[in-house]
Amino acid sequence: MSRSIVGLAFLLSLGAALASPPVIEAQAQVGRQATEALVFPELDFRPPEPDEHDVEGVSVLTLEDHTLPLVTIYVRFTGGYARFGRELYAAGTALPSLLRFGGTAQLTPDSVDKALEYYAFQTSFGTGGGSISINLNTLVEHLPSGLDLLAAMLTEPAFDPMEVEVWRGRQVESVARRGDDPGRLAFSEFNHLLYGDHPIGWEMDLADLDPANLSLERFREVHGRVVCRDNLILGLTGDLVWADIESLVDSFVKRVPPCAEPLPPSPIPTIRDEPGVYLIEKDLEQSVIVMAHATDLRLAAEPSYYAATIGNSILGGGGFSSRILARVRTEEGFAYSASSLWTIPREYDGLLGAITRTRPENTVPAVEVILRTMEELRVGAPDPGEIRTAVDRIVNGFVFNFDTPGQIVSRTMFYLAQDLPTDWLERYVEGVQSVTPASVLEAFSRHLRPDEMMILIVGDPDRIGREALSSLGPLTVLEIPVGR
Amino acid sequence: MAVALVMAGLAPSMSAQATPGELLPVREITLENGMRLVVLPRQGAPTVSFVSQFNIGGVNERLGTTGIAHLLEHMLFKGTTTIGTRNPDAEAALFREMDAVHDELLSARALGDEAGAAAHAQTIRELEDSARVFVESNEFDRILTRAGAQGLNATTTSESTIYFVELPTNRVELWFALEADRMMNPVFREFYSERDVVIEERRMRVETSPGGALLEAHMAAAFTMHPYGVPVVGYMTDLETLSRRDVESYYRRFYGPNNAVVGIVGDVDPDEIEALANKYLAQIPRGDDPPRVLATEPDQRGERRVTLEWDAEPQLRIGWRVPAGVHDDAPGLAILSTVLTGGRTSRLYRRLVLEDRVATSVFSSLGPGSRFPQLFQINAAPLGPHTTEEVETAVYDEIARIARDGPTENELERVHNQIAASSIRRVQSSLGLALQLVESVSLLGDWRETFRYAEKLRAVSSEDVRRLAAEYLVTSGRTVATLVKRSGS
Repeated sequence: MSRSIVGLAFLLSLGAALASPPVIEAQAQVGRQATEALVFPELDFRPPEPDEHDVEGVSVLTLEDHTLPLVTIYVRFTGGYARFGRELYAAGTALPSLLRFGGTAQLTPDSVDKALEYYAFQTSFGTGGGSISINLNTLVEHLPSGLDLLAAMLTEPAFDPMEVEVWRGRQVESVARRGDDPGRLAFSEFNHLLYGDHPIGWEMDLADLDPANLSLERFREVHGRVVCRDNLILGLTGDLVWADIESLVDSFVKRVPPCAEPLPPSPIPTIRDEPGVYLIEKDLEQSVIVMAHATDLRLAAEPSYYAATIGNSILGGGGFSSRILARVRTEEGFAYSASSLWTIPREYDGLLGAITRTRPENTVPAVEVILRTMEELRVGAPDPGEIRTAVDRIVNGFVFNFDTPGQIVSRTMFYLAQDLPTDWLERYVEGVQSVTPASVLEAFSRHLRPDEMMILIVGDPDRIGREALSSLGPLTVLEIPVGR
Repeated sequence: MAVALVMAGLAPSMSAQATPGELLPVREITLENGMRLVVLPRQGAPTVSFVSQFNIGGVNERLGTTGIAHLLEHMLFKGTTTIGTRNPDAEAALFREMDAVHDELLSARALGDEAGAAAHAQTIRELEDSARVFVESNEFDRILTRAGAQGLNATTTSESTIYFVELPTNRVELWFALEADRMMNPVFREFYSERDVVIEERRMRVETSPGGALLEAHMAAAFTMHPYGVPVVGYMTDLETLSRRDVESYYRRFYGPNNAVVGIVGDVDPDEIEALANKYLAQIPRGDDPPRVLATEPDQRGERRVTLEWDAEPQLRIGWRVPAGVHDDAPGLAILSTVLTGGRTSRLYRRLVLEDRVATSVFSSLGPGSRFPQLFQINAAPLGPHTTEEVETAVYDEIARIARDGPTENELERVHNQIAASSIRRVQSSLGLALQLVESVSLLGDWRETFRYAEKLRAVSSEDVRRLAAEYLVTSGRTVATLVKRSGS
């Protein structure tokens, strides 16, 4: 009964409904002139900041939010398959799933499932190759049980052989189905083409999935190297008070053992630089096109970094306000989606390129439009209005970075893990406001080389036109075995 | 058991008492032109979510003009008589020329004159290029982008077309000004190139997607009369012949404010919202009440099967005819769906994926809409070398078991716990709440119904689930669609 009172209280706290009669105002003018005449008040907004605590050398971020009787625990371990050799690729990829599904020293997989359902915990376990992220959402009164169960799942995993086999079987099936989705095939092959045997270029194959690569020893090895205290950052948001949960968090952290050895550094990729057209022949009603080349711009290269992000927004990263979508979709009707990409890592080269899909007959014209659009920005500064649109999107949309406590804490955890300043977002928003047409031109003229793109196309060469394809550059046909 | 008791406390037991959700401080507004708004203020970051839902979708279409609701959704981002243009009169003159040439194109095509049709298509492209000189490209989007808008988009379903965007709260009036303008003064510029965009969307979602193609084949086989059988994106042949005038007249027919519901959730003042609604939206002229969908699907008198050959690994879809989402049996069918495939301990997941290992995935759902008799759907992908036949056999075996014995009390308690927890989690997102409130008003006439539904789910018994499985999941009401690998591929 007491919970229903709490329930009512939190819902009512969302705001008060006032039953005043409607106010009838004069009908408003609409249209461009009326819209431009609107004046918007400044937002009075002070972004909430998480508190940072040190627990046994582990950074723990907390952000209170008492609107709902829920708490979310965010766990991030730096480290993943990308830090290790190919022999640990399958085990490293499987690790988050097996932490969730593989049982613990005390609980069978089935018992873990039942406990999660009994307490109505909501969990997610994932990896991007460089880290493992785990979340658990719980009603506040079950937080002790949630932390206890999560600690057991993370630190005492059983890697149940049946669950390992289920995971392996589904991966084998996924390998067989790789060619079913032309988009997935294009992106994975493009990564492989550019990054070769670097982890970014790896695609799971049957050799990776040999049972020997998924032995208990392999799991123990990758688990021991990743799931340890020195790699851990923790976050908690929701209906909590630090003083009340400190001892619980302390116990949780102490159950995670210190790391036996530091993680090896992430390998530095060498990105292939052989411009031309790479074709995967497939009888399709729509070609998939991915193109890019390497750039050596780094995250720390201020102010070029800001000019590059604004420039990418103008080129094709900014949706309908960007040039590639405006040309390829709005003007030509070639494609439903078209965008550019400019990845700017901290420690190694990134990619600058574009992606689209179009009917076979429009494949080469669409590539040409994209390359032309790139060339225009390489040699000419963008319009100040384009800069304004890209910057306003970030500045006026700044408040959306603080829509939920989870967003704020997860972002800060990422900054800590990456050794970025915790006010990096604020610096970014300030930095983009200094971008000028000249600085965007400088970024593109220095880094963008439309005539040196590696262009991968999945499609039907008879309908695309082999000669037309060759007009884009040297043509290489890739033989990709797909299916069983 | 403790959890169930604790969480049941969040909502009063089955009495006439209101559920916590029903006590949310929602302001209901009905304008003189019939437009309905639901406004929910909530504390937090200074952001607000807007949802406009029109009761128009795939079911309002006919063969020959399929895909028109979805194409219209695209066109409503093209601007108005002042936004998106430098010279609306010059544009209008060119539209008339384009429409006339398109008529000639259709005549040529009807006569089999492909060369003539191609020449007319080229003329339309040239006219559209001429009109583009007067276009301020994507201006509607750009105004919102500069305002910091997030997630500007729309979606068309079988039964509704939904537009949504989130804005900082100091831009609330901007949304009203833009929405009123596009409801009163839309201009369907760049129509023929946008029609090509939609054709590319269909190529992406259907022509090159085995799952999309199988869904289309499944619905067409299951619904022979009712428009649920028609794909929302439209058939290719219809998309290639839809005209700008078709879409314009469709807009006039279905986009009256009396056919719209607006949801606004965020850090807003309901009084201010009501004043702005009266200022901007009340002036939109009321439209005709759209004609109701009268087509009904005849009784199914036996199993139907359809096979699709594709260059892809096998997939399976099974659908059984069940009542509409507003029917008294709908909550029980939703529980049945969760018992069968909701999570790792569900019956079909456990049997097919974990124990027998004949499938790599299995899901169930009710659809494709909710306003009319629909399907209880199961889709699964076999785990090689197992076949769709083995998956089917295991599915029918489990359904026979549940139709005989019903779910256990433990299974039901698990589902009820999930419902109780989700009833709290569902109010976390402003946009999610706005979508729920609007759909509740559109479908059931009252925003509170979305919260009452959780109570209806909680009232479902094991015997209810058993009865529904036995009554509806029968061979004679079943349509099975199988995707098989094309030989030689």
